[in-house]
Amino acid sequence: MNFGRIPGEKGVWAVPYITNMAMRLVGEDGQLLPAIQEAQAAARAGGAGARGGGGGGRGGAKSEPWMPWMPWSAAVYDYHSMNESKYDPEGYCLPPGGPRMMATPYQMEIIQQPEHKRVIMIFEGATHIWREIYMDGRTLPKGDDLNPTYLGHSVGHWEGDTLVVENTGFNENSWLDYFGHPHTDQMHVVERWARPTKQTLRYQATVTDPGAYTRPFTIAWDIPWREGGELPEYICQENNRYLNRLEDDLGQPIFGPRAQPGQKPTGAR
Amino acid sequence: MKQRWILPLLTLALVLAVPGLTSAQFGHPLKGQWSGQWGPASSPVRLLLDLQWDGKQITGTINPGAGDAAAVKSVTLDYSNPAAWKVVLQAEGKDASGKPAPITVDGTLENIGAYAKLLHGTWTQGGRKGEFTLTRN
Repeated sequence: MNFGRIPGEKGVWAVPYITNMAMRLVGEDGQLLPAIQEAQAAARAGGAGARGGGGGGRGGAKSEPWMPWMPWSAAVYDYHSMNESKYDPEGYCLPPGGPRMMATPYQMEIIQQPEHKRVIMIFEGATHIWREIYMDGRTLPKGDDLNPTYLGHSVGHWEGDTLVVENTGFNENSWLDYFGHPHTDQMHVVERWARPTKQTLRYQATVTDPGAYTRPFTIAWDIPWREGGELPEYICQENNRYLNRLEDDLGQPIFGPRAQPGQKPTGAR
Repeated sequence: MKQRWILPLLTLALVLAVPGLTSAQFGHPLKGQWSGQWGPASSPVRLLLDLQWDGKQITGTINPGAGDAAAVKSVTLDYSNPAAWKVVLQAEGKDASGKPAPITVDGTLENIGAYAKLLHGTWTQGGRKGEFTLTRN
């Protein structure tokens, strides 16, 4: 199965903006959980349903009852909700980790290199980053060899026309999504990629993180093909003024020197 | 002659810059190394906490490596206010003579989403009690 272009063709995958992965939880049948469908219906009817399936602000959304929270992870999530996700590391141009790579709304390409037994994914967004998925049968590193990173380690194999990728070795410097679902370095992600039509990449990820969630959960969404597209250059770090006006809960600049006692914080307006 | 100073100056600049670097950590907010002090301002006691989270419990050591190192026995958390968690930590401390002096830390965790997380409150060790402040490194 070819997840990329054919020779001479132009095209890219237009990654959607998934701000809240908890609104993309699916059951074993691959369908959205009934509770989410009800919440979405309530939201459409103007009720107090959960928000965040698409873009937009958080609207004070609280920890979703269908997520397998640990008490601390729910509290962290509610905290991020209280402050409108101002500490979102992606807002600081730090790379997203895990499934958020496929929920950051920029374009990406998949380049398969069977002769090198690897798959490369190149992302316009998320700090212009790339993933390398080893298809040579190696196993994931363990113990001290893990050396946790933003994207972790990825090994893949084919199950028919589905690319199955196992990931581990994530550091704790990222959130799972804009809404602030936390994860720990115990996170293990199994991704499944399929291309049921030329225009659609079907993405599914099962997240297992015994440090933050009481059981695994699976999320899924489709990624459309953008005919004729190419990866443009986008540099998040350039002139990121968002950073300059950010203050922490204590009124101190998040970046730059912290004020001495009695001195007005430099970031204060 | 001037060039002889360049390398030492660069090294010094790098060393001075290191304390300003703080790594992000968005896992369990208590996990990591914390430094600070407790007791009166005139004679503060320096503190270093090294805490881990394994998915079941928080473990760690107060002042690891030092003569007064104390293993953390238990940590309880109250998340009623997501922006200011109540933290009660108990550890097996010792006094200057080496006799057991249990430590009870009754604190509040704030600035939870920021790099510079803050833990502050009352530190009780043996018969002594005082205010403490810890910042996540």
